Amino acid sequence: MAVSAPALGDAFAAIVGGEHLTTAPSQLAAAAVDGVTPRWLARPGSLDEVSRVMALASAEGLAVAPRGGGSALDLGTPPLRLDAVLDLSRLAGILEYVPADMVATVQAGVTLDALDRELGKHGQMLALDPYGGGSRTVGGVLATNASGQRRFRYGTGRDLLLGARFVQADGTVTWGGSKVVKSVTGYDIPKLLTGSLGTLGVIVEAALRLHPVQPASGSWLFSFTSREAAGALVVAVLASSLEPERLAWLNAAVLGLVGSERGEAALAVSVATVAEAVTSQGAELGSMASRLGARVSALDPAFWTRMGGALASSTVVKLASEIRRLPFWAGEVERVISRHGLTVSLVGEAGNGILRAAVEGSVSPDTWAREIVAPLREALAAEGGSLVVERAPLYLKSAADVWGPVPETALAVMRRLKAEFDPGGVLNPGRFVGGL
Amino acid sequence: MALSLALLRELEGILGAGGVVSTLEGRMVYEADMHTFYKGAPDVVVLPETTSQVVELVRLCRREHVALVPRGSGTGLIGGAMAPVGGVMVSLTRMNRILELDFANRCATVQPGLINLWLSQATREAGYYFAPDPSSQMVSSIGGNASTNAGGPHCLKYGITVNHVLGLEVVTGAGEILSVGGKAHDHPGYDLTGALVGGEGTLGLLTAITVRLLHVPAGVKTLLASFSAIDPASEAVSAIVAAGIIPAALEMIDETFVRAINEGVGAGYPKGAGAVLLIELDGPAAEIEAQAGRIVQICRDHAALEIRVAQDEAERALLWKGRKEAAGVVGRMSPSWILQDAVVPRSRLPEIMREVQAIGARHRLVIANVFHAGDGNLHPMILYNDLEPGELERAKEANDELLRACLAMGGSVTGEHGVGLDKASSMPLQFGDADLNFMARFRRVFDPDGIMNPGKLLPSHPACGEVFRPSAPRLPAGAWV
Repeated sequence: MAVSAPALGDAFAAIVGGEHLTTAPSQLAAAAVDGVTPRWLARPGSLDEVSRVMALASAEGLAVAPRGGGSALDLGTPPLRLDAVLDLSRLAGILEYVPADMVATVQAGVTLDALDRELGKHGQMLALDPYGGGSRTVGGVLATNASGQRRFRYGTGRDLLLGARFVQADGTVTWGGSKVVKSVTGYDIPKLLTGSLGTLGVIVEAALRLHPVQPASGSWLFSFTSREAAGALVVAVLASSLEPERLAWLNAAVLGLVGSERGEAALAVSVATVAEAVTSQGAELGSMASRLGARVSALDPAFWTRMGGALASSTVVKLASEIRRLPFWAGEVERVISRHGLTVSLVGEAGNGILRAAVEGSVSPDTWAREIVAPLREALAAEGGSLVVERAPLYLKSAADVWGPVPETALAVMRRLKAEFDPGGVLNPGRFVGGL
Repeated sequence: MALSLALLRELEGILGAGGVVSTLEGRMVYEADMHTFYKGAPDVVVLPETTSQVVELVRLCRREHVALVPRGSGTGLIGGAMAPVGGVMVSLTRMNRILELDFANRCATVQPGLINLWLSQATREAGYYFAPDPSSQMVSSIGGNASTNAGGPHCLKYGITVNHVLGLEVVTGAGEILSVGGKAHDHPGYDLTGALVGGEGTLGLLTAITVRLLHVPAGVKTLLASFSAIDPASEAVSAIVAAGIIPAALEMIDETFVRAINEGVGAGYPKGAGAVLLIELDGPAAEIEAQAGRIVQICRDHAALEIRVAQDEAERALLWKGRKEAAGVVGRMSPSWILQDAVVPRSRLPEIMREVQAIGARHRLVIANVFHAGDGNLHPMILYNDLEPGELERAKEANDELLRACLAMGGSVTGEHGVGLDKASSMPLQFGDADLNFMARFRRVFDPDGIMNPGKLLPSHPACGEVFRPSAPRLPAGAWV
């Protein structure tokens, strides 16, 4: 039986406490997702409260959007419906951390910065460095499978999430995976949740694999007068036994932003290991790059944080291609986008075939859809790649699907998964691929 | 034979007479994997050579409500490749080709029956290798590795198989060909690749696997450290990891095994050692030199009796030969054994090893140990003689106590062998009803009629004892751990 809106509000308030339920219009407007304003913003303080909020929402047929720090709310299609935003920021505790195990179990709302401070005391880290910085929450980073330059060496959240406690659409509290670094017990449900944008369940706790902070590190910038030469260095590094931590592709616009010398394209590389090996790998990288005509300069470690700023635009596109094709796509995306008078800052994970393009300038929805997104997406898809619009103003989002097509058989399986675990469309309805 | 003659004819229609094994002596070859508690020849074995044959097979079995059980090389240790009465076993050994080597993208696409080691052999000259290395890698298949998410010594640094699988072609239990993942990373949508790895044949049959290749490290250094007892060796393991060093491999071999390995393989491990650690570092030369120095110091601090560094490739190979062929020498110690594969958080290693000794003493049984210490992935082998009345029962009790002790410390039911038939009933020790229910529903999405490897991985299928024919345990012909 449907309950009236004020009664529902009372019911939510009874679960999370009146002070943690927002109904003030101005605050709700600020919590809107892609312009869709919720009726409630609830900040649960425990796993049990998350469960009860979801059970109530499910029983009443409401739509819920979970959120962490709110920095990735731009990701996805505008929600079909939205009644409640479930803010997990109060769930910010480190539940278990035994440094000798290199595993930490944390609540979803803990920020990367807060976690880093605690782990750093023991010389350890969570090797996830998504753009957007340390105010992002663990839960949000996992739900969006956000990644950064360190993925070349350590993988993404997919590889670092060992276990997860999550709340299903109907409020059922569920655990998947383990809290040990090596386990193959049952289906790898954490993999299913990683990157699922909260459409199958709300991650509330995560057991994470950690890594030791290496005793020494070095970073260098290799800038080239041609994209091809930069591409040749990528090939050379990947074909060598060098073990960089980060291998970043930067275009000329980004070089300007981070205050470095000019060039057509550049690679920023970091190495983290014992001091002797930093020196020797740096020397080898340097001579490799010099042979290809690079200008070499040392970078200070703060560069890596500064570099993320290059992507702080209202419109960001992520391209995934084969690794060897990244230099080609770097040129192609610049060509296609800049033709329309837009500027493009490109940051790529060169060892993984991932490129992000931050776009500045004004473009019509029609141009955006037909002359930028569609041709790039089709050409990438023909090679097994993809293009996702990670962030864009609504008028561009409505012009071209942000996710792009998913192969029909795979989409059919994804639809069955969604239908199985969220038949009522409670969790983020419409925001994920194929309108899931 | 419970399988109808009509179905047999249809199978022959799909695979040709040469692709169907239905004689008793032919089927006997497939009566068990390396887990020999349960045995029973399948009613029929089919050997497809193409993905389209696999699709036809699944569609036929779905129509007839007949169970399908995939099998790679049969080196599994969990009874995962056991076919129930009336079921069809699908041996993928004929689909064993490398479909593509793509060094520029650091990956390879292979058929499921390809032997693990063959891939590294085929890529080494170009400077690459496939990191997941179950100790059976010279015979186990990559399809089997991906299906069970099999591990190996080098998982410590490089992660388990799922971390190395980029894409899959799968024929699901619904008979559809599903292509997921691939050379490009981060495909939009659910990470079906990640969730399908480790499915143990309950979701579908893998017909092609795209795996990550790693560049061969610049250098490798293998050390052996011996200790008077397992306790200081366990403490040394914890200290190495606590020092921020993640070796490529960090293996423990106890006194019982040291003796048997020396006699059986001639590995030349230190005589009389109470425990041996085999430690391998790989990476840039300067890195492994510095780390080796730290490790030697840590081992000395923990009263190591002897520390050896392999001086050349031959010496290194010999040290590893002892470890990799350890299970093959079990027969020297005992007519029968039960192998456990549970995991503890590695900081609990010293504690669990004391518990292992105590359990053995309590049940008056020798428990021998050779395992992946750096991961906390234990392999206690409970030695028993099934001709002695009561020993099997005591061994089973000890095995159960070991598993429960690991879980009580926050561990996991299986670290690398998988769940299969053997541990399906143990799943509720680690997971609650809601968790298992989620997994069961996940399975149904891929296999709506429950034809894919029934009775495995999840405890919901009752009466395994009726579906599968248990046999008296006997000495395995050889096994790998």
